[in-house]
Amino acid sequence: MDGSVRLDEVVMRFGDFTAIEKTSLAIGSGEFFSFLGPSGCGKTTLLNIVSGFLTPSEGQVFIGDEPMAGVPVNRRPTAMIFQNLALFPLMTVYENIEFGLEVRGVDKRKRREVSERLLALVALEGSGPKRVTELSGGQKQRVAIARALAVEPRVLLLDEPLSALDLKLRQHMRTELKAIQRKTGITFIYITHDQGEALNMSDRVAVMSAGRIQQVADPMTLYREPATGFVASFVGENNRLQARVTDSEGERVRLDAGALGELAGRAGRETRLTNGQAAALFLRPEHLRPVAADAAGPRLEAEIEAVHFEGAWMMLETRLVASGEKLRVQLGHEVSRGHAGAFAIGQRMTFGFDPADAVVLPDDGSPMVDEETGEVVDGDRTKAGGTHV
Amino acid sequence: MFRQLQARFGGPLAMAIVTLLGIWLIVMVTLPQLQMIEYSLKPNLLPAQIGGPDDRFTLANYATLFDNDIHRTIFFKTIWSSVLVTLLTLAVSYPLAWYLAKVATPRQAALCILLLIVPFWINEILRTYSWFIILAFRGPLNEVLMMLGLIERPIRFLSGNGGVMVGMVYAYILFMVFPVYNAIESLDDNQVRAARDLGAGTVRTHRRIVIPHAKPGIATGCIMTFMLAAGSYAVPALLGSPGSRWFTQIIYNWFFEGGNWNQGAAYAFLLLVLCIGFMSLVMKVFKVGLGDIGR
Repeated sequence: MDGSVRLDEVVMRFGDFTAIEKTSLAIGSGEFFSFLGPSGCGKTTLLNIVSGFLTPSEGQVFIGDEPMAGVPVNRRPTAMIFQNLALFPLMTVYENIEFGLEVRGVDKRKRREVSERLLALVALEGSGPKRVTELSGGQKQRVAIARALAVEPRVLLLDEPLSALDLKLRQHMRTELKAIQRKTGITFIYITHDQGEALNMSDRVAVMSAGRIQQVADPMTLYREPATGFVASFVGENNRLQARVTDSEGERVRLDAGALGELAGRAGRETRLTNGQAAALFLRPEHLRPVAADAAGPRLEAEIEAVHFEGAWMMLETRLVASGEKLRVQLGHEVSRGHAGAFAIGQRMTFGFDPADAVVLPDDGSPMVDEETGEVVDGDRTKAGGTHV
Repeated sequence: MFRQLQARFGGPLAMAIVTLLGIWLIVMVTLPQLQMIEYSLKPNLLPAQIGGPDDRFTLANYATLFDNDIHRTIFFKTIWSSVLVTLLTLAVSYPLAWYLAKVATPRQAALCILLLIVPFWINEILRTYSWFIILAFRGPLNEVLMMLGLIERPIRFLSGNGGVMVGMVYAYILFMVFPVYNAIESLDDNQVRAARDLGAGTVRTHRRIVIPHAKPGIATGCIMTFMLAAGSYAVPALLGSPGSRWFTQIIYNWFFEGGNWNQGAAYAFLLLVLCIGFMSLVMKVFKVGLGDIGR
């Protein structure tokens, strides 16, 4: 059973608007693959192209090396879990799960066997005769998974299926989805705007922005080695400082950050930097730590504007004294314990970082991501097409 | 209910509304019906005999229908034809309602609805006459069909039931399209997409997903169409041939040509009972309640 999916130079246009720029991508059989991006980035469009609800304007989709051009939705070896689940409200749990088998002419006894087996897989034994309207949110979620698995798809497509659940349940379902994926060995293609979900469950993640795939990598690489400024600011939290390259030698880069003085960082992997080039230095909040005002290495002096104590860690919202830019600093319990009562609003502190942790990427004018909402706040292309999913 | 009205409109206005509603229901609906029932249970007498020894309750007027072969045949034929009209109207309206609710763009839907409604700005008699012209032996439909070479000689559409069927389906299509449209419109598109995704073809998607969801709307449309068809007078009178007489025409004849109101009232009452029976049957079969129809 080959559940590999290949996109070959796929382009999707709606009238004048290009929802998907030319995209080629190979997803391995049995892989848990996520598309991560803000709303309007084209990830749902891509999912609809794989499922067959949309026909690409250009290019081809292959599933298990079979071309999917001209194969209608109901004949593709895929199954979709919809954002609102789309369970059939007038049917029982059994009938929902068995619908796909009924369509395929499987006899009643065999159907019931399959649905019982799947109900056991999603831990819903005994719920078969219930109406779906009687179930809780999490149970509905499980029925939707069972219904999709019943048709033995080679590829399972999941369109933000956890977004309707509350936080606790969402985290629990992550673990469960991952376990189901491992047990069944089916290729999962998962769409989400929640980076936590993507990083947590996926073997590989494609970060998308404005109809373009920015980077495809495993979650750890994505976090540590962002390939573009968009990925750096969308995946995890990042402080972004504008600077100009003064000296780059191999990985190590020296930068002139204007009012902030001289800073140092590490060039992003596969990034070519030339002297004098405009660049962005990305500093994760957890890589900053308080240092003495005259300590060696790069230093940033900032004034504390707000303190969020979260127990295991603490987040400081600060403003750089020299440039007025915002800087978020996350301090682990170990660090904050040593400075009990020291973090007062208005206080000035000096923060240092290891240049090896600070990734330098060319300033590509990539869209910025709003820290609070995770929405793209800049980048005119995205804005223009932002409403088009 | 009075409390709600009172809270909304205040005491005097609420009282006025309830009084008017009461007058309307009692004076204009209930009393005339009761009088019809009374008429139907009494023999047709000369004015001089009223109050005399012959003026007593009898079921003779009802028995007439069962004794008269022709009337009985027409009675059942009317029911059967009304069922046919209902099914035909549903068959025409369902695809249209589906198109309006799920396929058409808002502009197309608006245009389509406008085109459906515009003819209904014209009086029903005139609309029916226009079908009389279209379907006439030397009318435009026959001309077009002959020009296209589809038929060799004109067809007599207006003899037999054909004309009446066409006229009625056309006359009642709105009463079917709108309830069905409303019902289909409320269906989540993802339901249809999910069914497709799980492998269902068009027919199965409609049979298992769309139609069950639209059932209350379909039942409402069927009941309204059936009632209107069974009680229709203008269409069979204008488009019908002598062979396709409608039961309403017989009732009309008793009242206005036979001058026998008592007999006419009995016939009318039987038709009413039958319609109510049919309505309850449809509601039972489709498992819908009166509340669903009100929506």
